[in-house]
Amino acid sequence: MRRIFPTYTGLVLPDVFAAVSNPARRVILDELRQGSRTAGELTGLLHLSRPAASEHLAVLRGAGLVREERQGRNRVYYLQPARLAEIGGWVKHFEQYWNQRLDALGDLLDEEKPK
Amino acid sequence: MTENAIRLERRYPHPVAAVWAALTTPELLARWWAPGNIAPVVGHRFSMDMDAWGQQQCEVLAVDPGTSISFHFSEGQLDTTITWRLEPVDGGTIIHFEHAGFQLDTPMGRHAIEGMGHGWPGLLARIDGVLAGVS
Repeated sequence: MRRIFPTYTGLVLPDVFAAVSNPARRVILDELRQGSRTAGELTGLLHLSRPAASEHLAVLRGAGLVREERQGRNRVYYLQPARLAEIGGWVKHFEQYWNQRLDALGDLLDEEKPK
Repeated sequence: MTENAIRLERRYPHPVAAVWAALTTPELLARWWAPGNIAPVVGHRFSMDMDAWGQQQCEVLAVDPGTSISFHFSEGQLDTTITWRLEPVDGGTIIHFEHAGFQLDTPMGRHAIEGMGHGWPGLLARIDGVLAGVS
């Protein structure tokens, strides 16, 4: 019986992980969960220079985690939750692991049952 | 955004006392999960031997004797909380299992993010085969 604990298997595209591994980009994603924000609002939130903030937004766009819409003079950003859900995939492997362990628990209980 | 939990339920045709013993007696726990000196005492610190993952530090957070136990699992690594709660039902016991607090912003989560090639992450490349082999 193998008991190796599960972990990331490569099901999630590496660019998604790379995108969320950066703290500034996680701040952006958390902020966008509240609703859409303009590029200017996000830049202000990060206390970063405009080029630095633009670069983070470009990485998030490239990973498919956010989309940009032009509204007049503003660039408005929206969260793309489907890609975020993929990150939850690594937890799924623990679910598989625990289902196997609960099977093993059932076997043990059957064995221990007083005759 | 990245907090996640696993919740599972399983019904066993065995009395609550038998299931409780299997969860909280080290000799029995080792036979279905892993070796470790668990005890149903709040504040009890113990370690679970997770094979290739090494010893994982744990601490009991809450106990309702014979009914539920909650403990911190994998201190400083995975940093999650495991809870087992037993519900007596006609002809057996339902176990309510929860493994909560998965976050990418932990050493384990960061390894997953970075996809590094040593230590725990070394398992990454093999795990699909391992899972396929046991299922």
